[in-house]
This record gives sequence, structure tokens and C-alpha cells, in this order.
Amino acid sequence: MTTNTFVAGTGWLYRFDPRAKLLLMVLMCVWFFLPVSLIELSTVVILVVLVGLYNAGWKLVVRTFLSILPMLIFMVIFSPFNVRTGSPLIQIKSFTLITEQGLEQALRLMSRFIGITYVCTLLFATTPMHEVMLALRWYRLPYRASLVVTLAFTYIPFISDSFSQISESHRLREADDETKKRFFTRLKDLLPTLTSALVVALRSIPNLAMSLELRGFGLENRRTSFHDLSSYPYTFTHFVVSCMIPLALWFGRSIF
Amino acid sequence: MEPLPSDLMSFPAKYKMATALSINNLSFTYTSWTQKQLEPLFTDLSLELKEGSKTLLLAPFNKGKTTLAKIICGVCPKYFPGALSGEIQVFGKDLSTLEPWDLLSQCTYVAQNPQEQFVSTSVEEEVAFPLESMGMEVQEMRSRVNAAIQTWGLHDLRSSSEQELSGGERKRVLLAIMQAIDAPIWLLDEAFDDLDQKWRDQLKAMIQNEKKTVLVLASRYLEEFNDLFDSVLLLDEKKVLQASVSNVLSQFAHLCGDDLPNPLHHERCNIAQEKTLVCADLYAERVRVSTNTAAKFNLEIKDFSLKSGELVTLVGPNGSGKSTFSRLLCGLDAPLEGAISVDGKALVSKQLSKKVGYLFQSPDLQIFLPTVYEELAWSLQRNSNLKRKEIEQQVTECASLFSLDLSDTPTTMSYPQRKALQAAVYYLLDRPFYVLDELDSALTYQAALSIIARLRHKGAGILLITHDRQFAQMVTTRSYTIQDGRLQAV
Repeated sequence: MTTNTFVAGTGWLYRFDPRAKLLLMVLMCVWFFLPVSLIELSTVVILVVLVGLYNAGWKLVVRTFLSILPMLIFMVIFSPFNVRTGSPLIQIKSFTLITEQGLEQALRLMSRFIGITYVCTLLFATTPMHEVMLALRWYRLPYRASLVVTLAFTYIPFISDSFSQISESHRLREADDETKKRFFTRLKDLLPTLTSALVVALRSIPNLAMSLELRGFGLENRRTSFHDLSSYPYTFTHFVVSCMIPLALWFGRSIF
Repeated sequence: MEPLPSDLMSFPAKYKMATALSINNLSFTYTSWTQKQLEPLFTDLSLELKEGSKTLLLAPFNKGKTTLAKIICGVCPKYFPGALSGEIQVFGKDLSTLEPWDLLSQCTYVAQNPQEQFVSTSVEEEVAFPLESMGMEVQEMRSRVNAAIQTWGLHDLRSSSEQELSGGERKRVLLAIMQAIDAPIWLLDEAFDDLDQKWRDQLKAMIQNEKKTVLVLASRYLEEFNDLFDSVLLLDEKKVLQASVSNVLSQFAHLCGDDLPNPLHHERCNIAQEKTLVCADLYAERVRVSTNTAAKFNLEIKDFSLKSGELVTLVGPNGSGKSTFSRLLCGLDAPLEGAISVDGKALVSKQLSKKVGYLFQSPDLQIFLPTVYEELAWSLQRNSNLKRKEIEQQVTECASLFSLDLSDTPTTMSYPQRKALQAAVYYLLDRPFYVLDELDSALTYQAALSIIARLRHKGAGILLITHDRQFAQMVTTRSYTIQDGRLQAV
């Protein structure tokens, strides 16, 4: 009922202390909302993607991009229309379709979305979930709250996994003479797949609750931990690096 | 056959061994989602397990075997609503005063479907989770986790995540957890299913050697059960019945329909056009992305063939590549090298998925519509040559053949019915070949044989994946084994 998001690797992000990595993730998410130019923003997004490529490999980078692609398409199609002011870029007679500012805002929104997605994905792809949990507890988050956070980040991929399996099952049930499906047929097919994924997810909730309690979740004694974070000896250095990276990106903008 | 006398519990303690678990006059009825009045699952059920006893409780499907296990663990009706009455005591403590977590060090439940018990993201974490809950010292915890992982052959998979494990590997993780917790009561629901022979033998030895109170719940009598238990009981007519072992077994065989003639013996296989599926020099890889330690798994199939009307079995240990091979055969994955051909014509993945039907082990991933009618008609409606009347006729005939009610809701149907519906869907698709992934798991032999007979009726070639040697011998004359990704004809 839980799907792992960790992708084994040996890059520098894997050796980075999870506590510092968590801080870096938050700071980078904040960075994407700072008042920077579109070029600066895009450059940082590209840097983040390159870090992902180096550490977790192209498969993860491509898969992550594909997972947010529908959202990006919606942004490209609809957000330029929301901004009506500025110099017109595309006009149909006297009606302005897209303005320069509208396009810029759409690109800025997309860049932020891509950047935040990759930063969060990289945290969970390069840190085993139990280390994320230990890092959250190090920040004094209660055990129950840490468990809820980590379960949420493993339960969502589980639903996505179920969706893929159900889609595969659909593929196996195609009629003999069925050829390439039209867009609307595909859209229509999505409904039962989504419904089944939802049913699988809903049915697994009592099982998850049952299993947690059968494994002792609820006991009031002090909980011990099988793992610890002692394998990360350079915590302070990593914290300094975590603070330096966003600062360097901010002050180094003049280079871009 | 007689129900267990409830006055067993009234004997003075000095005249009997200590009681680990006692159930007295238990009645339970599930609450229906639709407010429909449901039949009680148990009425006045009584059962007593002495400390250190080994008991097998046989139950035909849908007689409440899993529900009974969940009631004993205290999670039903808590998470699976229903009306419960009666008294249950675990080592003299009234279960109604306990929460499921209070039973952690007293009783371990191994579920029939291992997936429903995973809460962590790696094997090691999963085994350690209950020990962390108990507040165990780190040294002791490490030693227990390592021992359990070693015993159940999970060393290479310690950091693997649940979704990268095969069904048998998942079951072994649950058994490793059971070993690590070391509770005095073990509740094993179809624990031998999914395991290959090596691990079945190991589980049998463990039950024999450990001084635990063991209750094994099973819906089939396996060879491994011989000489393993002190008592064999039957769950039927909403009660636990006791009699001599031979009486229990004959009554159970009758309930499961095992005394009926084998449907494959008098079944006629109508082959309209002879077809042959051939795999030559197939090569594929399976990567576990969550771990660096596990060796890369390679699948190499030199030669495999399946003809129309043939029933061939594929037997192999857990994680040997059975599912990887099945996915290649039905076109869900593409091989890195080699080809799969039908009648000499090499087919790509998309073409293969229309030639080879693959019945997943879990029917729930293959049925998804609100009614049986819609489920059966779904694929037919996409066939442009069929008119509405023809579809209706085919669906009605198929439902009657598989004993299905067209207005039923699949998600609320029993497991064997869902399995039958899954098979019926493929029967209508009329594929020339089928891969049946552990069809016999959680089905009676008779139910599994009936499904095979119906699918083969139109002359399909069938590859049956199973761990049950008894079942394999019963159905086939030709067999393949697979070990470490290498396939061999037997």
C-alpha cells in the first residue's frame, strides 16, 4: 500500500545530510518566488534539472517531466489569456489574443512549477523514506505527524501505480480489430480507469490502518529507531552549503 | 460432525493445559454498504487453542476464514464494520478490552494477501517497524532483524521496496516479521500460498520446531499439511466443526467439490485453427531501482512453445522470472533481444496483447466497471463488427456459463466470483493463448479447473503458472521450470 520513491544512486546528493537537504528544499522553493527575471529563473530551473540528471539519472528526470506535462500544457494554453495588458503579440483583427506580459507570466509560472517539482522529487528520490522521517523528527516534528507526512508521500505514488496497472489491464482487453484510439475515446476510457484506481485506494485505507495498528502504531511506550543519521558526519558543513546555494544563486544573478 | 463444545472452557485450569486463545459463542454479521440485511457469517462459534498446539482450520471460500483471523486480531469490526457478539480471550485477557496494538507481542497475523500488510518502503524497515513500536533496544532489534532476513532469504532485498517484490517474496517478508516479533501465537492465513517448495518446507519446519500456538487457516489441503498439526478442524455452517482427521478431510473435499469429476477430463476442446506461439532467444532485464545491492536480474529464454489446446505449466521459485516472462508473452513489456512469434510471424507488443490474454493473480486490477454486464460487454462494444443484439446474446451466454449474475456489482462479489468474472472477460475476448498467473491461489481445485476448462473450450493454448505441484500434476502433461531467469522444459 506504499510505493517507494527512492531511486538508488551514488551522486553527491545521496551523500548529503537529509536534514540539510530538507532545509535546502524549502529554501529553493522559496527562491523560485523571489523577484528575479525570467532568464534567471529559467537558468536556475535548468541547473536543478541538471543536478537531477547527474544524481538520479535521465529516466527519473524524463518520468517526472512527463508526470507534470498535462499540467504544463494547461498552463501554456490558458494562463496567457488571463493577462490582457501589455504589448500585443498575437491579434485577430482588433482582438488581442496573447500579450507579451501574458506569455511571460505563463513561462514564469511554468518555470516555478517545474523547479519546485524537481526540487521535491530530488529530495524523495535521493533520500530513503526512513531518513526523511528521521530528519523530520530531528526538526522536532512529532512521530505521528512525521509518519503522516511520509505515508502521504508513499501513498500518492501507490495510487499512481494502481492507475498504471489498471491501464495495462485495459490494454490487454482491447478488441481484436481495435486500431489507434481517438482522443475522445481515450478520454472516455480514462473515467473507468480513474474510478478503479480510486476504488483500489479507498479499499486500501482500512487495510493500511489495520496494518499500522497490528504493527504496534498506537502503543504509548517510547518508540526506538532501527536507523539513525550517524552515517552523515558533516551535518554542519552541509547546513552551511544548504544556505550558501540559494544565496549564491541570488547574488550570482549578475552573471546570467 | 460436531461443533466444538463451548463448555471446554469451563474445565478447571488445573485439569488442562494453559489456553492461549479461546473463542466462545462468537457471532458475527457484516454490515452491508447498501443497508441490505446480510446473513450472519458465524453463529455461536467456539474454538479453543491450547498453548503450543498446532491447529489447521480448513474452510471453503467465503466461510469467514479471513474474517475470523481479523476478529482474533481485534481489527474486525473496528475497520471492517459488522455486528459482533461472544467472548474472545487471548491468554486469559478479554479481547474487547484490548486494542490491536496491545496484541503485538502476543499474536502475529500473516494475511492471505501480503500487499495489504505493508506499511514501510523497504524490507528492512518493514521487519523493524513492529520492533520499533515495542521500544526494543537497538542491538536486540538489529540482531532480530538480521536473523529474520537471513532465515527468509531476503538479504539481497533488504532495501528493496514492496512493489519490486514478487508475491512469494512479499509473503516471506511477512514471515520474517512474524519471526522477528516472536509472539507466542501465530495466525497464518493461507501462508503456504505464493511460497515455492523450499520456503514451504521451511515454514513447515518452523511450525514443527517452534513452541508456538499456531493456527493455520486454509482453503485447500496441501501435501505439506500431512503430519504437521495436532488437530484439523473445519469451518462450515457458521461454526467450527470437529471430527477425526479423515472425516474432516472428506467433508472438506466434498464442500470444495473435489469429489466431483475433473472438468478437464470430459471437456471437449474445439480447435478451429491450430496456432503455435514460439519464443526464441528472448532476453530481458529487470532492475530494482530502489537498491544498489541486488544483482541485476536477467531473463533468458532459449526456446518456448505453446500450441492451441495445450495446457502447459510453468513452475519456479519465487522471484525466478515467471511474471517477467508472462509480461513479455502478453506484450506488456518488450524483450531487449529475441522475438515472440505466432505461426512463424514475429509480433510486436501491441499485436501480442491481442493474441495472449494474461489473467493477473489479483482479479481486482482487471475488473473496474459498476456491473457484471458492463464488465463483460466492455470489450465487445469496442469491436466494430458486433451489433447490440449480438453483444447482449454473447454476454448473457457467457454469464450463464460462468454462473454470474449480470446485475451484480463486481467490487462486492466474493473472491471466487471475481476470479470467474475475470476469466469470463477473457473468454469473450477469445484470445488464442492465455497465461494464468497462479490461478489456483485462493481458489478450490474444482473452481480453478472449471475456469481452465472453459477457457480451453474454444481451443486456446494455456500456460498455467503455479507453485502447487499437486495441482500441476493434476492438469498437465507438459511442463516448464524456471530458475534464475532460465527456462527449461521438463
